[in-house]
Parts: sequence; structure tokens; C-alpha cells
Amino acid sequence: MKLIGKIVLVACSFLLVTALVNPTSGIAAESYHLGVDLAITGTGALYCKDGIDAIKLAVDEINSKGGFLGKHPIKVFVRDSHTKPDVAVREAKDLILREKVRAILGTYSSACAVAIKPIAREYKVLHIAAISNSENITKVNFSPYTYQVVPNSYMQAKAVVLGVAKLAKKKGWKSYVTIASDYEWGRSTQENTVSLLKQFAPQLKLKKEFWPRLGETQFTSYITAIMAQKPDFAIGSLASKDNVAWNQQAKAYGFFKKIPFPGSLISVSELIIQAKTLPRGLVGLCRAPFFAHMDVPMMADFVKNFRAKYNRYPSDWGVMEYDAVYALKQGIEKAGSIDSEKVKDALKGLTINTTRGKLFFRCIDNQLSCSSYIGVVSDDPKYPFPIYHDLVEVNGPDSWRPEAEIVAARLNEK
Amino acid sequence: MDFSLVIAQFLSGLSRGMMLFLIASGLSLIFGVMNILNFAHAALWLAGAYFCYTFWYLMQGYGFGLWVAIPLAALAMAAIGWVIEVVLIRRVYDRELSEQLLLTYGLILVIDDLIKLTWGAEDKLITRPPLVASPVFFFGIPFDSYFIFVILIGVAVAIGLWLFLKKTRYGHIVRAAVFSREMVGALGIPIPRIYTGVFVLGIFIAGLAGAVQAPVGSITLGMDTAVIVQAFCVVVIGGFGSLLGTFVGSMIVGEVYAFSILFWPQGALALIFIITALVLIARPWGLFGTPMRT
Repeated sequence: MKLIGKIVLVACSFLLVTALVNPTSGIAAESYHLGVDLAITGTGALYCKDGIDAIKLAVDEINSKGGFLGKHPIKVFVRDSHTKPDVAVREAKDLILREKVRAILGTYSSACAVAIKPIAREYKVLHIAAISNSENITKVNFSPYTYQVVPNSYMQAKAVVLGVAKLAKKKGWKSYVTIASDYEWGRSTQENTVSLLKQFAPQLKLKKEFWPRLGETQFTSYITAIMAQKPDFAIGSLASKDNVAWNQQAKAYGFFKKIPFPGSLISVSELIIQAKTLPRGLVGLCRAPFFAHMDVPMMADFVKNFRAKYNRYPSDWGVMEYDAVYALKQGIEKAGSIDSEKVKDALKGLTINTTRGKLFFRCIDNQLSCSSYIGVVSDDPKYPFPIYHDLVEVNGPDSWRPEAEIVAARLNEK
Repeated sequence: MDFSLVIAQFLSGLSRGMMLFLIASGLSLIFGVMNILNFAHAALWLAGAYFCYTFWYLMQGYGFGLWVAIPLAALAMAAIGWVIEVVLIRRVYDRELSEQLLLTYGLILVIDDLIKLTWGAEDKLITRPPLVASPVFFFGIPFDSYFIFVILIGVAVAIGLWLFLKKTRYGHIVRAAVFSREMVGALGIPIPRIYTGVFVLGIFIAGLAGAVQAPVGSITLGMDTAVIVQAFCVVVIGGFGSLLGTFVGSMIVGEVYAFSILFWPQGALALIFIITALVLIARPWGLFGTPMRT
């Protein structure tokens, strides 16, 4: 018996030492199931493909070092939300119940993000919104499980407003119209823009609001109706492929030559896709252009690896989904565990390394302190598509909604 | 009201209406003659747009690329339409409407997935040739020059279909089949062949409409779901099977949409659905349709 006892003791000691020396080669650790609920089809497909590819790249990088904490290999489950909230909810539930995911990365659109937020909360699963950016995702009906690594609609609206207010003063503009996609993000961005313009440029009068449905293919009636209003300028919040169609058709009407259209969302996707047709000189807004941060080693590596793997440049959506995976990684490292409860607490207020530099999550709403970017669409010899010149970076803390207003909004909610 | 404003909205409504007419005329023709409610019509329209992209891509170095790509895409869709009719549709002529709907709905899923497999999920963009890249001006009002081409195509299809139905023997047979396919069959005319021809023609027009739509914006998955609803509104208002009805229905939908954007932007789509509902209640066979059918 003594001999058997000694053998067991030696074997246990050996296993313990092995596990301590090399955590990945010891007892098989649980894999980390990561859900991705993005739009492979529908309006958001244009943006989400890059997002999914960037997530896969980040996961491959982390898995090459053993996974999260060096011992939890990541297994990715990608689902198609079809850009529809009901489908996004169905897929989120399936990811949680069937695939046992511990976190869901998403989402496109904001309506989908708002729809899956309560599901993530109910099942205590982390939810990181990296594309959809309505501020209502984190402002009201707050969920401690939901984090946002994209500048939200308020931050983007404020960035535009600060730029437009300067232009309006300089050019003596008096009136404007808005055109926004008729859904959660479009509504929320337009409302914030109008409200902030009242604050920062009270002399401006809103003449009319236009609300094309999400997925509109023909904007001709909107273009002529806006031109008929003869505003000094127009502000747009059009999503994804709608934005592409709008730019194409508005250009064909000579719209941009007649009516300034500052600050509409022109992401790197649009810069690449419409390289030949996008009017130069447009003042556009974007969320995470890689070329603004090529001095950050993490961004330079990401762009290099993304190009090597996919043979193209990454868009804003790729940058932000990549950051979402690494935010999760740093949360897990701080928690020292993959338990979602602990990771959720660890991410609270955490400062993280991202491709966009060192950023932190604000405690009150789990919003990352990321910047918005405004610039002039211009050709650049370094790239086969136009980029932004005269780029203005509006920092997160300079553009996000004051905490007092968030507290007030939540009180009203009750 | 500023007269130029009315003209501008009228022109944009006209272009929207013409685009809808191109989509809806094939749908109406197929239902009117074959009594098949083809849910997959818009999916085939979308496939036409993708085919146009491919043909344009292969010839983009040439100035005529787009102008050749459009008819080629329509012809490719006609060939696909023939296969679908012979392999699938032909087998459900005598089945219940619900079974026909299930089949054509299933076709949407298959076609959409085939498009995704063939062309991928990325959006496709056609660069317009210089001829239609800049605006033209009517009395100082800018108008997208490409839509002049769209309007011309719409008018050509309307006239072509009218001539075909009114002036040709085959057209007379097709019109007779709308009223009584049994009587046409009793005269020794092969109904299946007529049906195949009509279906192929309908899908040819759908492919043409998709190809014409392609350079308007980006070509994306899911575009078809947005379009099919308005196409159905057009044929309900105009009357299934009526060419004139489809034309008038398209113009009503296009112009109502354009002018309501001017006066009541939030209610543009709602207004179209209200009109559709009113027509359905007051005249279920549409403004120019006929209740006669055996």
C-alpha cells in the first residue's frame, strides 16, 4: 500500500509541476466559446464581412499562443443576423443555449444590438457592440454585460456638430435639412445632431427632416425634394449600402456641387468601394480609420496581418471588431478567469490597449473612450483609394454625453 | 408653389415608376396568364443585377460595356427562367395556390443562397460610363441622366409588350389564355408551350429590370425583399394581368411616393399601402384588371 501511495504522490506532483511550468500542456483547459452575431446578409453585409474577418484574425493570433490566458483556446461561432432584430435575437439565444458561448460580439444594426441586450443580460453573457453605435445601447435600460467599443451616435453627432458649427459661422449658413435612415441608429443620430446644433449653432434653422427606409435603393425623390428646399447645407445619417446608393445618385444629380453635405458617414468601406466615384473634397465622418493610427504598433501589425491574410485593407468595422476581441482578452487577463461575471466586473473602467491607442471604458455606461474622425476626402499616393486629409480627431471624453444627462435619462426611464 | 419643384418631383416619380413598371410587368404577366403568383420574381430581378455586374466587369475596359451587359443579363435570366419553368413551375400548375406559393417562396431562398455562393456577400458597384455619369438640366432642374435611359427602356418595354399582345397571333393567344385557358386548349393550342414562353418572357423582363437597376446604386443581397412589396402594390393597384394597369399602377406608386416625400416624408410608404388597401377593398381585381376568369 505504501508503494502505491508513493506512486500516486509522485504522479500527482509530476502533473502539478507540468501544469505550472507549461499551462497549455497540462490538464486540458476548457475552450472559450465566442459568439458572433453579425449581418452576413442584408443591409449590414457590407460592413460585417470585414468585422468577421478581423475577429477570425484576432482569434487566430490569440489561439497561436494557447488561447485566452494561454490555456483556453477560442472557438468561434458565427451567425447571420440578416440585419433583422428578430433574427439577431433568435441567433443570440441559439448561440447561448446551444453553443454555450460566454460572449457575443456584434452587432449590425443598432436595432439588433438593442434587441439582444436583454438576452445577454438574462443569460449573463458578455455582449460587445463594435459596429452598431446607437447611444441607447448603453445609455438607457443599462446592462452591465453590454460594452461598446465604437464611438456612439451621440459622440459622432457631437463631432459632426462641432465641425459644422465652425463651418456655419465661417460661411454664414442659416438653414439645413436632415436625411437619415428610418431606424434606431438613424433616428438616434439625427436627434442628437439636431439637439446639439441647437446648442452649438442656435442661429441654424432645421427646414425639414427626411426619413428614407432602411434598404432604400432609389433616392431620386429625396434628392430633388432636398434641393427644392434650398437649404444652406444638409446633414445625412444613412447606413451602409444606403449610403453608397445615396452618394452615387446624389453625385449624378450634381447634388454635392449645389448643397454642402458635411459630416455624413463615409467609412473606409465607402472610401475603398467608391474609390473611383466618390466626390473628392467631401467632408466626411468615420469611426475608426486605420490610416489615422499607423503610428500605433498594434494598428500597424493589424493592418499588415490583415492585408497578408485577406489581401485588402481593413475598414473601420474590421478595426473595431479586432479591438473588441482584444478588449475581451484584456478583461479576461485582468479577471484571471473566463467566467463572464468576473470578466464583466474586470472590464468596468478598464484601460486597454487597442489599435487606436490606449483607451478606457467609462464606468457609467461601459462606453470606450474612442475618437470620432472628420476629414476631407482626398487622393493619397500611398493608397489605391482616397483617404481623409486634414483629419480632425475628436476624442471620446470631449464628445461623449455628460454623465449627469445619462443619470437623468435613466431616472426618467424609471 | 414653385413650378420647377413640381417638375423635379414629377421627374423623380416618373423614374421611380418606370423602374417599378419594369419589375412589376413581368410579375403581372406571369400571374395574369399562368395564374402563378411568383414570389421569387424579385429574387430573379436581383440575379439579373448580379449578372449585369459580371458582364460589365468582363467588359469594363470598353466604353460599351454596360450597354452590352444589360441585354446579356436579361438573356441569361431568360435562360434561367426557362429551366425553372420546365423543371419546377410546370409541375404545380394544377396545384393549390398555397403549394405554388410555397414553391416560389422556396425558390427565393435557393436563389438568394446561390447568389451568395456565386458572387459572395460583398456589395458590387458598377461605374457608370461618362455618358450617364453627370446630370442633365430641364429648365435649370438637374436630373440624373441615367434615368433618361431608364425611362426610355420602360417606355420601350411597355410599347413592345403592347404590340406583342395586341398585334401578334401569339399575343392574341396569350390574352385569350388570361380569360380561359381551357377554351384555348380546346382549340388545339399547346398551353404548356404558351406558359413556358410567357414565363421566360416575364423573367427576361425581370432580368432586364435588375440589370437596369444595377448601376443606380450598389448591388447587395437583400435588395429583392425591399422591392417585391412595392411591385405587389403596383400589380394590386393596376390589376394582375393588365399591362395598362401595371403601367398606371407603377406611375401612381412612383408619383405618390415622390410627392409625399415633399409634403409628408414620414408617410410616403404608408400612403402607398393605404391606396393599395383601398383598391383591394373597392375593386379587388385592380383598376384595369378584370374579374372574368375561368
